[in-house]
Formats: sequence, C-alpha cells, structure tokens
Amino acid sequence: MIALAVIVVLLPLTPALASALTARARPLGAVAVVSGLATLAVAVAIAVGVSGGQRVRGLSGFLYLDPLSGFFLATIAVVVALASIGSAAYVRAEEQRAKLRPLQVRLYFIFFAIFASMMLASFETGNLGLLWVLIEASTLASCVLVGLEGKPVSLEAAWKYIIISSFGVTIALVGTLFLYFAASDLPGSPTQHLTWSFLFAHAGGLGAQSLRLAFLLALIGYGTKVGLAPMHTWLPDAHSEAPSPASAMLSAALLNTGMYAIIRFQALTRAELGSHYAGRILLIFGFASVIVGALFIVLRGNYKRLFAYSSVEHMGIIAIALGFGGVLGFYGALLHTLTHAIGKAVLFLTSGDLVLRYRTRLVDEVHGVLSVTPLTGAILLLAALAVAGSPPFGLFLSEFTIVRAGLQHSSVVLVAALLVLLAIVFIALVGAAAGMALGDSPARPTAGPAYVERSGRLLAATPLVAGLAMLLVLGLWIPGGLDRLILQSIHAIS
Amino acid sequence: MRLIQFAVVESLSATSPEGVLLDIAAVTILLCAFACLGSKLFDRYVIYYGAQSIVLSFAAAVVALHEHDAGLWVLAALTLLIKGIGIPYGTRHFLIERFELKRDVSLSTGLSSSLIFGAFLTAFAFLVIRSGTVPNGLVAQAVVPISTAVILLGALCMVVRRHTIAQLIGWLIIENGVFLGAIAIVATFPFIVEAGVFLDAVAAVLIMIAFVSGLARQLAEASAPELRQLSE
Repeated sequence: MIALAVIVVLLPLTPALASALTARARPLGAVAVVSGLATLAVAVAIAVGVSGGQRVRGLSGFLYLDPLSGFFLATIAVVVALASIGSAAYVRAEEQRAKLRPLQVRLYFIFFAIFASMMLASFETGNLGLLWVLIEASTLASCVLVGLEGKPVSLEAAWKYIIISSFGVTIALVGTLFLYFAASDLPGSPTQHLTWSFLFAHAGGLGAQSLRLAFLLALIGYGTKVGLAPMHTWLPDAHSEAPSPASAMLSAALLNTGMYAIIRFQALTRAELGSHYAGRILLIFGFASVIVGALFIVLRGNYKRLFAYSSVEHMGIIAIALGFGGVLGFYGALLHTLTHAIGKAVLFLTSGDLVLRYRTRLVDEVHGVLSVTPLTGAILLLAALAVAGSPPFGLFLSEFTIVRAGLQHSSVVLVAALLVLLAIVFIALVGAAAGMALGDSPARPTAGPAYVERSGRLLAATPLVAGLAMLLVLGLWIPGGLDRLILQSIHAIS
Repeated sequence: MRLIQFAVVESLSATSPEGVLLDIAAVTILLCAFACLGSKLFDRYVIYYGAQSIVLSFAAAVVALHEHDAGLWVLAALTLLIKGIGIPYGTRHFLIERFELKRDVSLSTGLSSSLIFGAFLTAFAFLVIRSGTVPNGLVAQAVVPISTAVILLGALCMVVRRHTIAQLIGWLIIENGVFLGAIAIVATFPFIVEAGVFLDAVAAVLIMIAFVSGLARQLAEASAPELRQLSE
C-alpha cells in the first residue's frame, strides 16, 4: 500500500519529465493522457484498499491513509484524468493556432504535473504541517497556469490569485500554530503534536480556547482556497483567465483540497468541543457563499466566471452539509464533493471548446452551439442541468441528501432558504446555458472548428462524454464500493 | 505532562534577559510596521520592511539561544539573508529602480487616517488576545498581541493601498507577524523552517509576477503611440 501511495504521487509527474525531451503538444499530451489514466487506476486501487476502514501509517505519521484520504484521492484522480485528456486536446489546438509558444506548452505540462502531484500528495499525509506545505506548493504551481497566457489581464489574475490565497494560507499557518499550541499539554513528541491521527485520538486533551481559535483561523485560511465567501474574490478571475483544462483542475480539484483540510480540522474540533461550534461557523460561511454565488450567477457576463461562481455556490453547499452534520450531512457533503468535481470538470472542459470555437468568453456573444457543434452544445446543456442540480444526475442525489440532513439535524427555515437559493441558481445557470446552446447560429463566422483533426475532436469529446456518463450513473445508482468508502470515511472522522 | 508543557513554552519569562530582548524586538517590529503604514515612498517601504526582518532574525536568534534549537538558528539565518537582504534588494533592483517608481499615489485612505486605524487595530489585538489563550507570566503574553497587531497592520497596508509593491510589502509584514508569534509561543513547531522557506518562495513568485506584468505594461505603453501612428 505504501508503494502505491508513492506511485500515485510520482505518476502525474511523468509529463513534466517528458517535457525535458520535447516541447511539442502532441507527444506531451499523449504522455499526460497515459499518466492521468494510470494515476486514476492507482488511486482507485488505494481507495479500494482502504474502503474497509484500514489505516496505513508510515514515516512517523508523515504518510497516513484512511478511507477519507482514499475517497479524496480517487475523486481528485478522476478530475486529473479528465483534465489530462482535455489538456492534450486543448493545448494541441492552441499550439496549432500559434496561440501558445513552445515555452508555454512546456510550462503548461510541467506545472500541470506538479500541481496534480502536490494535490494528490496532500491527501496522503497525516501531518498537518506537511499538509500546509503541500497545499501552499499546489498554489504556487497552479499560479503559473493562471498566468500562462502572459497577457496583462491574466498576469493580474495570477497576481490576485496568489496574493489572496497566500494570505489565506498564511492565516491557515497561524491556525496550525494554534492547534500545535493547543496540543502542548499532550504527551508525545513535537512531530506527534501535528499528526492528525494522534491528535484525533487524544482530542480530549487539547486546550479548548486555543482549539476554537485554531479552527476559526484554519477555516478562514483554507476557506480562502476553497473559495468560501467573503474570501472568494480571487476565484472568478483565476478561473476565467486560466486555460480551460487548468480551470477544470482549479475548480474541481484545488477547491476540494482546501475542503479536505477543513474537514480534518472540523473532526478535531468536534471531538473536543462537540459538533455545535464548528457546525455553526460552517453554516455561516456556507450560506454566505451560496448567496454570493447565486447573486453573481444571475449577473451573467463571462461564462467562465459564471461557472466559477457556481463553484463558490457548490463549495458553500458542501460547507452547509458539513455544518448540518450527522451521518446524512457528511454523506451528502462527500457525495457532493465527488459529483460536483465531475460536473464542474465537464463544464469547464466544455467552456474550453467554446473559447476555441467562438474566441469570446461572453455569454451573450455565444449562440447556437447546438447547431454549430451538436455534441458540444448538447453536453453544455446537459452539464449545466447536472451542475444546477437537476435529476437524474448525481448532483441532484447529493443535494437531496443534504436537504434531508438539514431537515433531520437543523431547522426548516435554513433548509427552505437553501432551496430558494438553489432554485435561483437553477433558473439563472440553465437560462444562460440554454441561451448559448439554442438560438440561431451566429451571423458572423466563428473562429473555425475548435479542433482541426479528427483525433483532436475525439480526444476533446472523450472526457466530456465520460464525465457526463459518470454523473448519470451516480444519479441513478451508487456503487456498493463507493457507498462503503463514504461510510467508512465518515466513521474515520467521527 | 506538566513538564512537557514547559518544554514547549519553556518559561521565556518576561523578566529574564532573553524575555526583555524579545519584548524590545517585538516592539521594534511593531514600530517598523507603523513606519511602513505611514510612508508614501516606495524606497521607504522596502527599507522599513528590511529593518523589520533584521530585527525579527535577531529575535529568532534570541529564542534559538534560549532553546538551543538548531532549526531556529537556521530560521534566524534565513530570515536575515532572504528577508533582511534578498527580498528588499530584489524589490528595489527589479521593481522600484527598473520601473522608476517613486511615490505611491494609489492610496484609498489618507496617511493620518490609516495610522489612526492602525492604532485602533493594535488596541483591538491587545483586547482580543486575553490571558486565557496564553499562559501567564511568559513573554508570549506581550509578544502574541504585538504579533497579532503586526498581522493586522500588514493586512491594513494591503487594504488601503492598491499598488502591487505596497500589497507585496503588506503581505510580507503579515508574514513577519506570523513568525514573531510563532517563535514566541511555539518555538518547537517542527515545520517552522519549511514554512519560512515556502513563504519566501511565494514572495519570490510575487516579485516575478510584478516584474513580468510591469514589463508587459511597459511594452503596451511603448507600442500604443506606434499603433496610433499606423492608423493615421
């Protein structure tokens, strides 16, 4: 198992090594696809390995795997696989149009690889200090992707992204320091005082006052990475300026990495202070995010920003689910993490096709996608429906579970407010997507087909169809193995 | 169990020589943050930040001497070299001199009102960090509120100023505040050196982005008259 854990972190790095040999998008893309799929296979193997509730410990707590890490590993690996295939198609199309220079192609694959590897590694450590370092490293790697196009506006987005999320991560460091301080009464070595499993086992001995402060600071700090309002301001800029497969990685993988850290801190807080304190704070931030997301989705403008605000909204929903708590609440939160990750990856990869085809990012300038490229149009509509929470897709099931959790563990008023906000988002998001997909084909010629070669079209369509199929399956039937993994994950943090 | 607690925050009491030195260093660091907040010249920001970092490295050395901890010595040396010399030099050489920046004009609040805000934030920091969080009689009791105040002042710098360099310096001041607090209450934190190195890497990336986007802007400005000529 330890060998697999090392392999899953090293595998995504192969495109970075390959980029030493060539700067052409085609071979690099091929390597990325193979390594993405192999990573997914290994991550699923790890998830299956820990789905019985096993714990794997190594290197004095620096390596630690439990069902929760297995669940997140598998989720992010799905996103990495989809985004790698998307990258292969997208970067090749941009290279053929001479939009990306060889250096940029090389940088893209190097930092995409490091980004993926750092995120996967952060789920495998039980040491909260190392977790902080790895999440910070993933910020640095992804910042290059955001600023890749080198235009003043993308550089500005990169600046905003890194300065706001580094500020957040610095606050998270203060939170980690306070947690360490809260543990100073416990027996054991300094390293153990940062080891999550040790702290969780001895949570009763943590200083209550410092622990409260630690959770609050960690929530604000890592919440900045998650994009919880009001710390979300970097998110729409970074998501709209990054190349689309990188946006998919930011939205579907990076945000979840921050959420994973919050779940670990919440577990410690609940073990010592009961579920009330952490739950209330999570509900406040969660509702703030859903409200902000809903408000900005209504103001349609740039469709990549629209999808980014939808991520803010969904992260808010996950925070609300964690706030509701109980087995149902956590089940809903984890299932929603998986379904949102797949749905948002599909949506951002579709937006990549639209950018290539229409050369604009404005909702109102895109019409008739269904008649221009039927497949992209259909997927855009279906993915928007899925992300907005329509049945029969997986997000409906997870949001339904969260609503049930709210009715069971919280007040009807909160649930009603959540439902109203979800309805607003549904109308706005589906309305925008329908406006883009339907209608006449544009009067002025588009920039030509997104992908010149047939293989490019096939490569670009694969992750979209695969992702949508997964969402459909998850909406109708939750595989027994996934169910067991989620239940064991809940068991591991309660 | 008690013994172990005192190994962590081992009685750096406010009256021991080290405690007094650390107190003085903390106050100097706070003053440097105020000096940054009250200045308008880019040169000055960098000078005050450099001075603050050098004092911080001195504070780290004091704690290292007291704790006999190799990691803290490394932290002190790195702070001196990177934050005290490297970052100020890099900012000055690559940003301020390269783009001939003199005076920060993009302030959203006047200097005097931002200083008054700063004073309020400092008072606020002392009010919220009550003795419940930090054990009595230790130097940390004075240093933790000061470090919180430094963090808040850095954040204020980032809020009231819009220029990239001012934001960069604001963030670096926050980082100094975090490390001041860290060496005072959790000197044995195992990741203190790694955390420092990573945050320095972030600073380097920020300087790089500011440099590249400055170049891009210069290029755009240089080509604008040319474009106008072509259209005539």
